Amino acid sequence: MAEHPSDLRTPLGRVRFLGAARTGTTDAWFVHVTSIALIPLTVGFVWLILDLLRKDYNGVRAELARPIPAILLLAFVLAGIVHMELGMRSIIVDYINGQSRAWALAANTLFAALLALACVYATLRIAFT
Amino acid sequence: MASSDALPGPRRPRPLSPHLSVYRLTMTMAMSIVHRITGAALYVGVLLLAWFLIAASADAATFAVFSGFIQSFIGRLVLFGFTWALFHHLIGGIRHIVWDSGYGLDAPLRDQMAWATLIGGFALTIVVWGVGYAVR
Ligand code: HEM
Ligand code: HEM
Repeated sequence: MAEHPSDLRTPLGRVRFLGAARTGTTDAWFVHVTSIALIPLTVGFVWLILDLLRKDYNGVRAELARPIPAILLLAFVLAGIVHMELGMRSIIVDYINGQSRAWALAANTLFAALLALACVYATLRIAFT
Repeated sequence: MASSDALPGPRRPRPLSPHLSVYRLTMTMAMSIVHRITGAALYVGVLLLAWFLIAASADAATFAVFSGFIQSFIGRLVLFGFTWALFHHLIGGIRHIVWDSGYGLDAPLRDQMAWATLIGGFALTIVVWGVGYAVR
């Protein structure tokens, strides 16, 4: 607000009737949509991990090379990472302001994208090699 | 507002912005904060999943480094924490979806759902770890 020293309106007056900031409502909505997908996916994921616990390297590879576990994993990773990227965005917007907010949002998106690429690549590599 | 300012006598104190420190912590507030904290913890915890997948996609020696870590005391502690965060956040998330559909916002149910999230999160974690130790 310090950028507008000549503006006599109150901060509230300035933002009134402008609606939600940018894509805020869409993001919040999509966090909830992905969370619905994540309910069965999380249950399946935990089930899968319990199954993998008693397996060694070869057993884990064999299990993850099967279609259902591989697809379940891909779906969990994709839904989970989109969800967490949007969720973290709302946390950042709540606590960080100004220029550092832009950097934090960029870092969040980059981190999520790299994580998604790494997980998807690794899962496909297990499935197809 | 303006009319009350014009009244004679001592001025009414100006309204304060709602601020965390002015309110008594309620169960629903506590669970809302824990939902955010577990969300942030899971965010970091997904790194563990990425490490697992990358290790499994590489050779047996690389995978052994991961399983060495996860079987260590610290590794188990981290995984236990991740399990709890996931279950707590899962039940908390279901609570949000129930709220979105317009149910469970009234006083008794709201608090019961908050307690159910807390207890259910711990209970599921313990059950799953019990099963985990039983099957291995
Ligand atoms: C991969 C695992 C998950 C991660 C990394 C994750 C991460 C996050 C993060 C960072 C937030 C933002 C927290 C906030 O704004 O306070 C969030 C919010 C949310 N999460 Fe998750 N989450 C995961 C799984 C789930 C699951 C399984 C559900 C199940 C229903 C779920 C439901 C929700 C809901 C409904 C919200 C929005 C809460 C709100 O509106 O304030 N999440 N999540
Ligand atoms: C009319 C009054 C209020 C309404 C409609 C309201 C609504 C909400 C909603 C929808 C959330 C998001 C829940 C979630 O996604 O986790 C929330 C979170 C929260 N509210 Fe309120 N709230 C109100 C008053 C208050 C007050 C007076 C406090 C005072 C301390 C408060 C403290 C919090 C806290 C600590 C959170 C959690 C933020 C977080 O996720 O970290 N709320 N509130």
